Amino acid sequence: MASREVVQYETPLTRAFRWFSVAFIIVYLMWTLLPILVMFVSSFKDLLEAFKIPAVGDWAGIGVFFEFTPTLKHYQDLFLNLNFSSYILNSLVAAGGSAVISVVLGSMAAYSLSRINFKGKNDLFFWIISTRMAPVVAVMVPLYSIFRSLELVGTLPGLILAYTTFNLPFAIWILKGFFDNVPYAIEEAQMVDGATRPQALLAILPLVAPGIGAFIVLCILFAWNDFLFAAIIGSGGAKTLPVATRELVQPQNIQWGSIMAAGVVTTVPMMLLGLVIRRYLVTGLTMGAVKE
Amino acid sequence: MAKVSFRSVWKKYGDLAAVKDLNIECADGTFLSILGPSGCGKSSTMRMIAGLEHISAGDILFDDRRINDLAPKDRDVAMVFENYALYPHKSVFENMANPLKLRGQSADRIKERVMAAASLLEIGHLMNRRPQELSGGQKQRVAIGRAIVREPKLFLFDEPIAHLDAKLRAHMRGEIKHMQRTLGTTMIYVTHDQLEAMSMADMIAVMHDGELQQLGTPREVYNHPVNAWVAGFVGEPAMNFLTCDVRGERDDVLLTHPNFALALKPQQVQRLNGHAAGPVRMGVRPDALGISMQKLAEPVITGEIFVNELLGGDMIVDVQLADARIRVKTVPEFDGAPGEACYVTVNRDKWHAFDAETGRAFF
Repeated sequence: MASREVVQYETPLTRAFRWFSVAFIIVYLMWTLLPILVMFVSSFKDLLEAFKIPAVGDWAGIGVFFEFTPTLKHYQDLFLNLNFSSYILNSLVAAGGSAVISVVLGSMAAYSLSRINFKGKNDLFFWIISTRMAPVVAVMVPLYSIFRSLELVGTLPGLILAYTTFNLPFAIWILKGFFDNVPYAIEEAQMVDGATRPQALLAILPLVAPGIGAFIVLCILFAWNDFLFAAIIGSGGAKTLPVATRELVQPQNIQWGSIMAAGVVTTVPMMLLGLVIRRYLVTGLTMGAVKE
Repeated sequence: MAKVSFRSVWKKYGDLAAVKDLNIECADGTFLSILGPSGCGKSSTMRMIAGLEHISAGDILFDDRRINDLAPKDRDVAMVFENYALYPHKSVFENMANPLKLRGQSADRIKERVMAAASLLEIGHLMNRRPQELSGGQKQRVAIGRAIVREPKLFLFDEPIAHLDAKLRAHMRGEIKHMQRTLGTTMIYVTHDQLEAMSMADMIAVMHDGELQQLGTPREVYNHPVNAWVAGFVGEPAMNFLTCDVRGERDDVLLTHPNFALALKPQQVQRLNGHAAGPVRMGVRPDALGISMQKLAEPVITGEIFVNELLGGDMIVDVQLADARIRVKTVPEFDGAPGEACYVTVNRDKWHAFDAETGRAFF
């Protein structure tokens, strides 16, 4: 994985391409970051101020956008009147719960698939992956009917189970790659040293920690950002942030201020998580892919 | 410390037999080397002793206890792996302490044992490093250290110095041999390098195609190989083989080849055991041959120098005969040039005759 200096010589074509790249990146950054900026700023604005926007083409009037008295009233509204603190908790429990269950079961399954040879192993592995091939919507109706007869609809355990169904195959798939990269000799050395098989598995877990960390993050992101499962399986008793935000759009009244604030509340934790584990995530995901 | 016995041990992978009917007795405190080329079943044998592979048939005994069904941790063996298998996330100290920790020893005792092993291997200053900060030789010492901290019944070394450079390998051979003598623990040492086996072991078990070819001291294996395969595998430069005929002529029995005829000694004739005529394979080591540019009185092989290789203290001369090329070890002062005719003498006590078909040694 070592980076190497690549010798390059400037030609008119590469120069043109470099300028094009810079321009492209600028446009791309505006495209992706501006909506977040608007959301962030608007969440601190009174509604009247929020809709004060300069006319199209009036670049001098852009200052209007930043002329406002900051207010926290939308956030107060979210947490005092709209019960968002319990929705945050629901989101955390659903995302965290399914991540923990998936990673525990997933690492055991991945370890077995990586270490033990048995008949039909490849078919089993393919079957596990194939559950991720159909879009979520395709299985939603049967899943809903199963969950309803088990009285899991509208409950947090139901939502955790639904996310786990989708995260577990993913966990097995990613983690198997990590276990494959750990030399078997290390466990053998452990066993000769006096470890049992489960102790040997525990001993190599630190070696797959980057993979487990990366996977937990992806798992949490999937569940945290999910709307479909949350709206259908979790509706009612286990309302998560995306669903609660959606409900702020009512036919007679769209509560823009609260929606902006809810957007910030939903995205900021994941952005912070991303920043904290950024390095970990990159090494984790590439480590699994590169076989030495 | 233990005596190790193999009783008709087999290892099968599906229909393929990797180890066939292996019978070895290894006395307590012996340094036994299992020698063979890759794929000969030597690693499978070692892994069966360690408990990392099931024994397909037969029994392995430590002293008189059958260990077939014991888990690796209950066999009380210590193993050094070819690729060291150090725990990359642990320091050298933690690596070496691991076997003691798993056996629930006290922290004081662990520290004492690890430090004792470290000072024996001269790695005391590396205790806080991680494996990736060590050189190959240092890693190898740590792996050995992890094996010797807990005074096991048996050491299993699986080609532990194969990945070191030549100079370090020569140095480690002496160290490992000395360490085994000092500790007195039974050692089974797997290698494909005949030089390692010859220089270190008390006993060598030569394996080929899953079968034990010969079990003997290094001297026996070198001087009295039981068949042509062992003779060709052990020794460097390798033994020369020539296809010859045995023929009675008046009172003598002669070994004949297009380039020479050699009279057999009476005891050699006796060892041929009735194989009085017909083809045999003659085997002779390069150091049992002499070479001269002058024709000598004794029976000689005439040939032509093909190439000279000067190896510092020795010279190896390749000599072209009618149907083969042989290598002769001589003094570095030898001055024959390629293309010149030369005369090769044979030490009449130090050559071997093998059955042309089975390869079995007559002598």
